[in-house]
Amino acid sequence: MLAKVVKYRWQYLMIAPAVVLLFLFSYIPMAGIQVAFKDFHIGLTIWNSPWVEFENFSFLQDDQFWVVVRNTLWIALLKFVFGFPAPILLALLINEVRHSGFKRFVQSVSYLPHFFSWIVVAYILQSMLTLDGGLVNQFITNLGGQPIFFLGSTEWFRPMIVVSGLWKEVGWNTILYLAAITTIDPQLYEAARVEGAGRLAQMRHITFPGILPTVSIVLILSMPSLIAVGMDQIYPLMNPAIQPVADVLDTYILRNGLQQGYFGTATAIGLLSSAISLLLVLFTNRISRQLNGEGLW
Amino acid sequence: MKLSASERTGQILIIVLLSLLCVSVLYPFLYMLAISLNVGSDAANGGVYLWPRKFTLYNFEVVLGNAVIQHAYLITILRTMIGTIAGLLVTLLAAFGLSYRGLPLRGTLLGYVLITMLFSGGLIPFYIQLYNLSLVNTFWVYVIPSAFSAWNMFVMLKFLQGIPDALIESAELDGAGPLRVLVSVVVPLSQPMLAALGLFVAVMHWNDWFAGAFFVSDQNLIPVQTFLQHLLSAQDISTVLGSNNNIESLARGSMLENITLMSIKMATVMISAIPILCVYPFLQRYFVKGVLIGSVKG
Repeated sequence: MLAKVVKYRWQYLMIAPAVVLLFLFSYIPMAGIQVAFKDFHIGLTIWNSPWVEFENFSFLQDDQFWVVVRNTLWIALLKFVFGFPAPILLALLINEVRHSGFKRFVQSVSYLPHFFSWIVVAYILQSMLTLDGGLVNQFITNLGGQPIFFLGSTEWFRPMIVVSGLWKEVGWNTILYLAAITTIDPQLYEAARVEGAGRLAQMRHITFPGILPTVSIVLILSMPSLIAVGMDQIYPLMNPAIQPVADVLDTYILRNGLQQGYFGTATAIGLLSSAISLLLVLFTNRISRQLNGEGLW
Repeated sequence: MKLSASERTGQILIIVLLSLLCVSVLYPFLYMLAISLNVGSDAANGGVYLWPRKFTLYNFEVVLGNAVIQHAYLITILRTMIGTIAGLLVTLLAAFGLSYRGLPLRGTLLGYVLITMLFSGGLIPFYIQLYNLSLVNTFWVYVIPSAFSAWNMFVMLKFLQGIPDALIESAELDGAGPLRVLVSVVVPLSQPMLAALGLFVAVMHWNDWFAGAFFVSDQNLIPVQTFLQHLLSAQDISTVLGSNNNIESLARGSMLENITLMSIKMATVMISAIPILCVYPFLQRYFVKGVLIGSVKG
C-alpha cells in the first residue's frame, strides 16, 4: 500500500490543492452549520460560542417567515411549471426547422442571454418597462391603455420573474435536448412515415419518447435550484414596493444574516432550505427510477 | 423532399415563432445601444427605438473617463484573468490525478468531491469561514474560494477518460512522468475542453456581482457588475459621478446638462456586455461541446 502511494505521489500532489480547497470552503462550512444551534457573533469562534438549542428556530413562529416561505414556493412553482417544459418545446420546434442556416442562427441567438449577468438583465427589464419612456408602456399608451408600473407592482412581479427567467435561460437549456434528439435512430422516423405518421405524430411518438431519459436527468438536476430561487435574479430587482411578494428564503437569509448580523437564525433557515432541496433530489431520483428505470444513481 | 401544404404552413409558423424569439433577444441590446449613443436629454423625450437620433459618444466618454468605473474594470479584468487561470489549473490537475484508475483511495476521493455537490453549509457558515480566513475585504475572496469547481472537475474527468490509454502508456514507456504526460499529451488533446471550461469560468467571474456586494465593503475592490448593481437603484446622477475626480472633466463640456442617468446607465451596461458579445461567436462551438460532454451519462 505504502509503495503504491509513493508510486502515485505526483498524482496525490496534483489532487492536493483541490482537496484542501474543498476542505476549507465546503467541509468547514458544513461543520459550521452548528451555528444554527449556537449564539454566534463575529468575534467569537464557532467552537467557543454557547449552545442555545433551538432558540434560533424561533423564526418558525414569525408570520413574516411564512410569508417568505409562501413567496418562495410560489416562485419555485411558477418557474418550474413554465421553465421546465419551455426548453423541451423550443428544442422540438428548432428540430423541425428545415433550413440549417436559420436553425444555427436561432440557436446562437437564443443561447446569448445565458452569458449576461442578472444585473444586465435587470437593466434590460428596466429600460424596456419603466413608466416614463419604457418601450412597452409607450406601446400600451399608444394603443390607448394605461401605463403599467411593471417593476413596482405586486401583481406583475411574479410574471416578470417567470418571463425574464425564461428569456435568459430557455435557449441554453435546449442544448441537451437538441443533442438527445440527434441520437435518435433515423430509421424510426422512416418507419413511422411509411405507416403514414405526420410530423406531429412523429414528434409525439418518436422524438418525445426519445428524449425522455434526458428529460428525467434534467428534472433531477433542476431540483436543488428549485428552492434556491432568486438571490441572483430577485435581489437586483428588489424594491420596497414589491418586497411583500418578492422576499424569498435567499433574500431573507441575506438580510437577517449578512446585513443584520443574526447569524444563528440565518444559518438555521439555510439549514432548513438545504435539507428540503436534498430531500427533493432524493425524491425525484426515486420517482424517476420507478417511472423509466433511470436515475442519477 | 417536397413538403405538403400542411407541412409548409407548419414550417412558416415555426419560422415566425423562432424569429420573434430572436427579435426579443436582439432588440433590447440594439435599443440600449441606441440610447447610449444618443444625446441623453434628447433620448429622454422618447422616440429613440432603433437608431440614435442625435448621435454622440459623450455618454461613453463620461463612463470611460470616470475613475470609479475605470477601477471597477481593472478589478473585473484582473479577477477574470487570475481567477480563470487558477480555476482551470486546480480543476485540471485534480481531474488528471483522479483519472488514474489504479490510484489508491480513488473512490474515497471521488466521493469526497461528490458530497460537496449535494450538500453545502449554506451562505452564512461560508461567510464565517471567509471571515475566519481573513479573506473578507480582500481581492483574493474572488479567486481562491472558486478556484476549484467540482462540477467542472467531473466534466474534465469524463473527457480525460475518453483519451485512449495507449497514448498515455506509450508516453510512459518513453520515460515520461505524470507531469510530463500532462503537459505534452493530455493538455494538447484537451484544448477544446479547456477552452469550453475556461469560457464558463471566465464568464462566471466577469458576471459575478454577489461577492463584490457582500464579501467586500472596500469600494476600491468592487467589480463592474457590483458597480452596476449599485447604479441600478441610483436615483440621481450625482450618486454615479459625484464622488470622484471626474467632475472637472465633466465641467469642461457644456454637454454636462445633456447627459441623463438613463443614458449613463445604458453606456455602462453596454461596456460591460460588449466584451462577451465579442468573444461569443469565436467560442460558441466550444461551449456546446463542453455542455454535452458534461451531460454524457456513465
